[in-house]
Amino acid sequence: MTASISEALYELCGFARVSCEAELVVALEVDAGYRASAVAVSPTLPLSSFNLRNSRIFEHAWASAPVSASELRLPSAVINALPALPTFVLFVPAGLDHAPYSGLLLLWTAPDAPPPLVRHVPLLAGSVASALGRRREAVRQAAIRDQFNDLLESVPAGIVVFDGDGHGAMVNERAARLLSTEPGRHEASDVAEPMRMLRERCDNRKELDALYEGHMANVHYSVTTHWMLGERTYEVDTHPVHGDGERGRIWLFSDVTAELRMAANLRKMAETDPLTGAANRRSLESEFARIMKTPGARDRAFSVLMVDVDHFKQINDTHGHSVGDEVLRKVAARCRTALREGDLFARFGGEEFVAVLAAPQEAELTAIAERLRRSIAGSAFRSGTLSIPLTVSVGIASGTGRDAPPASFLATLIEQADDALYAAKQSGRNRVVSYTRQRLAG
Amino acid sequence: MNFDELHGRRSGGGKCKAVLSHGFGTDQDAWSALRPWFDERYDVYSFDLPGCGRGGDKTYDFERYDSLYGYADGLIDLLDQTGIDDCLYVGHSMSAMIGAIASVGRPDLFSRIVMIGASPRYLNEPGYVGGFDATDLDALFDSMAANYQAWAAGFAPLVVGVDDAHAVSEFSRGLFQMRPDIALHTSRTIFTSDVRNAARRVPVPVTLIQTANDVAVPREVGAWLAREMKDATLDIIDASGHLPHLTAPDAVMRILDKHLQGDVP
Repeated sequence: MTASISEALYELCGFARVSCEAELVVALEVDAGYRASAVAVSPTLPLSSFNLRNSRIFEHAWASAPVSASELRLPSAVINALPALPTFVLFVPAGLDHAPYSGLLLLWTAPDAPPPLVRHVPLLAGSVASALGRRREAVRQAAIRDQFNDLLESVPAGIVVFDGDGHGAMVNERAARLLSTEPGRHEASDVAEPMRMLRERCDNRKELDALYEGHMANVHYSVTTHWMLGERTYEVDTHPVHGDGERGRIWLFSDVTAELRMAANLRKMAETDPLTGAANRRSLESEFARIMKTPGARDRAFSVLMVDVDHFKQINDTHGHSVGDEVLRKVAARCRTALREGDLFARFGGEEFVAVLAAPQEAELTAIAERLRRSIAGSAFRSGTLSIPLTVSVGIASGTGRDAPPASFLATLIEQADDALYAAKQSGRNRVVSYTRQRLAG
Repeated sequence: MNFDELHGRRSGGGKCKAVLSHGFGTDQDAWSALRPWFDERYDVYSFDLPGCGRGGDKTYDFERYDSLYGYADGLIDLLDQTGIDDCLYVGHSMSAMIGAIASVGRPDLFSRIVMIGASPRYLNEPGYVGGFDATDLDALFDSMAANYQAWAAGFAPLVVGVDDAHAVSEFSRGLFQMRPDIALHTSRTIFTSDVRNAARRVPVPVTLIQTANDVAVPREVGAWLAREMKDATLDIIDASGHLPHLTAPDAVMRILDKHLQGDVP
C-alpha cells in the first residue's frame, strides 16, 4: 500500500520534472516544526531529512511563477543533491492536517527561466496533497499494526479476535500454538473450528457446552471460565469488543495451571499437619461442618475415636525427638490404614489423633477400633536398628446431630471420647473404651 | 546553530575573520594550543558544536543533526547571524566536511577552508578506501551503546594515537561531557556519511592536514581529497593520531604559516 502510493508520488514528481525541464523535483512532507522529509524524489537519489524553518520558502506567496534561488535559503541537503547551484525554485504548497507545510519543490539549475508550461504545475497541488495524505495514513496504519502486533505477541496469553462482521479472525502466536493453526488473519470459520475442537478435548467439556449454550442468545455476553485440558488448565475469558458484540469478540486464553497448582499446594499446606501428613484439627472441623450441612446429616449417627499413644513421652526421652517424630508418622500411617476410606482422620496435637466415622453399626465400630488398636500393638516399630514396642489407648463416643446443637456436636463427641480415653488409660492402657459403656460400667 | 547558545568565543586582533570548528569528542577548548597563532593574525571565532561542550544536550536536536547537511545548514545560519563572511574556516574531523558542504551552497561565506583529519566517507567500498567496514562500525556502535564510559576510556587513547597524557585526558573529557545517546547518534551520523560529492564541489582553496597514522582517516583518504577536490593541498604531519592540533600544534602551525601567509593582509 505504502509502496504503491510512493510509486504514484514518484511518477508525479517525474512528470513535473520532465514537463517543466526541472533538474530536481521533491515531494516533501513538512510538519508544523518545519521538519521536512522527502517522500519522493525525481530523479531518484538519496536525500536526508532537513529543516526548512529558515528557508524563507514559507514567507513567499507562491503562485505559478518560479523565483530566483538567491531569494531563498535552501537546505544544504537539497543544494548538494543538485549537480550545480540552483537558479530557479518553485514550491507548490500541498498542506495536510498533520504536515501543514508539505508540498512539491521544483528546482532548476539552468540560467534560463523555466518553460511556460510551469504555470500549470500548481494544478498538481491537489493530487500531491491527496497522495501525501494517503501515504501518511498508510504509514500510520502500518505503524499501528506493527505496534498492535508487537503488543499481541508481548502479552502472555493466547488471543483470538473475531471481527464484528463475522468474516475474519486474528490469532496471535500463543493462540495459534494452542489451536494448532498459524498466527495471523484467518477466515472466521477456520478459527472457530479449531476452537470448538479444543473445547471438545476438554475434561470439563459438558460443563463448558452447557455454560456457552446458555449465552448463545446474547451476542454481548462475557464469560470467564476454566478449560481443563489434561494436565493443563486455561482461564478462558471471552467478551465483546468494547462491550458490543456487533463490533467483534475477543477470546483470551491464559495458562493458569501453575497458579492453580500453587493455590492447591497452599490450601493443602494450610489443612495438613506437617509432621505426619494427616489432616490438622482445623481442617477436620471444617470438613465435619461441611458434612453436617449435607441433607439428612443431622439424623445420622457419628462416632469419634480419640487415639493416644501410650507412654509416648518415654520414647522421646529415651530415643530423642527425631525417633519420636518418626514413630508419630508411622502411627498415623497405621491408623489411616486401619480406618475405612471415608473416615476422617487428623492429628489432634502431641501424640493424640482423632478419627470421625459416619454411621457405623455398633459391631462395626468396635471392630474398627480394635483393628486400629491391634495395628499399633501388633508389631513393634522399627527405626534404624531400634525396635520399639508401642500401644495406643482409644476412647469412643457416638451420637447423632439431634443430641446437641450443630455448633457443639463435634466438640461434645470429642469431649466424651476424651473421657472414655481417660478411662482406657486408667484401666491399664492398650485398650478401647466406649463412652456409653464406661458410663454404664461406672 | 546560534553563536551565543553554543558558548561562542571571539578573540584575536586581526582584521580577517577565522572560524574554528572542532570535531567529534572535543569542544572549542581543543583549539587552545593553536589559538595564539590565529589570535595574532585573525579576528577569531570559535564555538561548541551542538551536543558538545557544557550543556551540550540542550543544543542538540536529533532530527536536525541527523546528517552532516543539517550541521552545514546550522553553520550557515550561525555565520549569517554573526555577520561572518569571507572567512578562513578551520574544521577538524566532522567539522571539515560540514564546512565543505556549507561552502558548496554559500561560497560567499568562505575564503579558504583548512581541514584537519578530514574524511568524506569512512566506509570502504570498491575503488575507495575509507578505513572501515560495516562490521567495524556495527561493533563500534554496539560497544558505545553497551557501555559508553568503558568505550570512551578505550577509544580516547586510540584516537589520540600518541602517548600524550594531556591530549588523552582532554579528549576523554570531551567524550565524557557528551550525553551517551547524543554521542552515539553523532558518531552514527559521521561514520555513515558519504559527502564525497560535496567535497568535489568545494569552490574555495582547501588546505588538508593529516597525520601519517590516523586511526580514523587512512592516508588514502587524504590522497583522495587532494586528488578529487578542485583546489586542495595536502600536508602530512609525520606523527600519529587524529588530533594533531592537540598533539603536534607546532607542526600544524608550520603548515599554516606555509599556506596562509599570503591570505593575511
